[in-house]
Amino acid sequence: MQPVVLIISLILMAALSAVFVAAARASRGPAPGPGASAKRSGLIWVMTILGVIVSVASLRDWPHALAGTGDALEVNVSGGQWWWDIDTTEIPAGKPVNFNVTTEDVTHGMGIYDSSLTLLTQVQAIPGYTTQITYTFEEPGSYQILCMEFCGVAHHDMVNEFEVIAAEG
Amino acid sequence: MSTVSENYVPGHAAAAPQAGAVKLTMVLSGAVFALMMAFGLLMRAAQGQWIDLDPALFYQLLTAHGAGMVGTAALSGAAIMWYFCGRHLVLSGGIFWAFLGLFLLGVVLILGAIFIGGYGGAWTFLFPLPALSGGAWEAGAAAAFMLGYTAIGVGFLLYYLELGRRIHARYGSLVRALGWNLILGREDNDPPPPAIVAAAAVTIFNSIGIILGAAVLVASLVHLLVPGFEVDALLAKNLIYFFGHVFINASIYMAVTAVYEILPEYTGKPWKSNRLFAIAWNAVLIFVMAVYWHHLLQDVVMPPWMLVVGQLVSYFSGIPLIAVTAFSTFLYVRGSRMTWDLASSLLVLSVAGWSVGSVPASIDGMISVNKVMHNTMWVPGHFHTYLLLGEVAMAFGFMAWLVRGKTISQMDGLDRAAFVTYLAGAVGFVTVFLFSGAASIPRRWAVHYEEWLSHDRIGTLFGGLVVLGTLVFVLRFAARLGRREG
Ligand code: HEM
Ligand SMILES: [Cu+2]
Ligand SMILES: [Cu+2]
Repeated sequence: MQPVVLIISLILMAALSAVFVAAARASRGPAPGPGASAKRSGLIWVMTILGVIVSVASLRDWPHALAGTGDALEVNVSGGQWWWDIDTTEIPAGKPVNFNVTTEDVTHGMGIYDSSLTLLTQVQAIPGYTTQITYTFEEPGSYQILCMEFCGVAHHDMVNEFEVIAAEG
Repeated sequence: MSTVSENYVPGHAAAAPQAGAVKLTMVLSGAVFALMMAFGLLMRAAQGQWIDLDPALFYQLLTAHGAGMVGTAALSGAAIMWYFCGRHLVLSGGIFWAFLGLFLLGVVLILGAIFIGGYGGAWTFLFPLPALSGGAWEAGAAAAFMLGYTAIGVGFLLYYLELGRRIHARYGSLVRALGWNLILGREDNDPPPPAIVAAAAVTIFNSIGIILGAAVLVASLVHLLVPGFEVDALLAKNLIYFFGHVFINASIYMAVTAVYEILPEYTGKPWKSNRLFAIAWNAVLIFVMAVYWHHLLQDVVMPPWMLVVGQLVSYFSGIPLIAVTAFSTFLYVRGSRMTWDLASSLLVLSVAGWSVGSVPASIDGMISVNKVMHNTMWVPGHFHTYLLLGEVAMAFGFMAWLVRGKTISQMDGLDRAAFVTYLAGAVGFVTVFLFSGAASIPRRWAVHYEEWLSHDRIGTLFGGLVVLGTLVFVLRFAARLGRREG
């Protein structure tokens, strides 16, 4: 998902920058005509309609939806300064996994990275709460948990690993 | 119905009481911006392993850079807004000096907490990290840091109390100053000019932000001193991000008054308060407070509707910014035959940088995107865009305008070189952060993996250009100020 997000963002940013450059150049050109306010209303409508479409499309399936406990594997992860503890070290591929995340001290962030260091999903670990997310691993291999919330001087050392193994059968 | 501000005098600086205090504040702001950028450069070079920094020191620099930059953005924004409100209101100079004094007291406490006490819990002091440092700093250092914030907060409350009081006296009510007569189509032969509409809105939302910030500061302080006094971590986080989000945004909303008041001198067209402008500012007043939930999108125990509001408002906040502020800037500039000196160039750039920076911000405000972008370098990527190319450009533009010559003329060679260096450096610097975010590099990591070093090194080079451009702006400002005052 990240490359798509990057490309869309850069295109929109470049387009908006180009409009500014054009506007600065137009300081030498003619003054704005009477159509300007209609253009502005048009812009507001376009932004509103686009916003409604994107919002509905991106929220219709709730991004934090959890897999039902019946068909998911439950994995408990707890964090503390500065370690991660995972109660399952071998996770089968292709089966939804519910991660139940807790912390023993301050706030941490559980970020799951694949072997090429791409962030797959994350959730905050908040003192006094259990936070849950679901993820389904497609590829067997080794995965890492990195800390995504600043938690003190060894924040960058708060790393652990687990394996995803090919599903039997 | 006349919508032209009556105080507008083309090509002439209107009365500006307390200009001396404001100029001093801008010199201080420029110096601190430059110093904090140097800290930023050290961090970036350390991430790239060009220099060797102990992680504890890295996180102290991160804390100083975060608190120092946010504080200075707010300080410079406050000075700018005070200056321009002084064209429309009678403001007490004593209050500004008290504000500045409390701010400097806060700076001393914060710097002491960090570099003497070793506090490195980041500018967001996320509960209960200040009290649980794992041995890196003592409770006293965390308490000094928070007392520093408290001093600054009290100073800001005084500032807003004075502004609110004077706006009320001059316009009868904050509601009228927010432009409600314009919105409702009622007759108003003395409508609030844009700077006053902005001041009224910021006074309301930033006072609320600071008061909620003070509440969580006090709770955190008591927690430090009284073991056993517990605070709900999620509630504290909500309060901290409400305060932090509102406060940093307020700095831009204060500084933008420079655009409203200065650009007309160049374009010859006064910036008017009209119905749309008033609606936009009232929307901002609500949006800026309702959007802070976008910082909590991965706190899945939050009520879902709050996260939905966070996502929606992240997007819809872009409409007043792009369709009103940016679009109006286009209209004012178009056909104006304006002269592009350093001040006008920086001010138009600031509106562009602010708008462009809102794009990656609202995309990251989508919950599904945020799952893989939250707390990666994407985040410093977008906020450095609207800070470096937005708020700071507004502050530098205002400074350049304060010391402009008697006649407006094109930039000289050195100003042009500094402008181009700053712009190229900042664009490169933030673009690298965005690439790093897309490459999943986490933010706030003192030590980076081998795979990430090329990002850090290219970023460092661009950051160096920003520092160079800044040094020229700030030193020239100080020199020109000295020449004019002396
Ligand atoms: C030459 C210019 C600058 C450089 C080189 C720089 C560098 C950095 C670096 C390396 C970080 C840490 C990134 C990470 O999370 O790993 C950072 C964070 C930050 N910067 Fe800058 N920066 C610059 C300018 C600014 C400006 C002008 C502002 C605001 C007005 C600013 C505000 C911040 C804030 C608020 C943070 C977040 C601190 C935190 O995560 O606690 N920076 N900057
Ligand atoms: Cu951490
Ligand atoms: Cu925010």
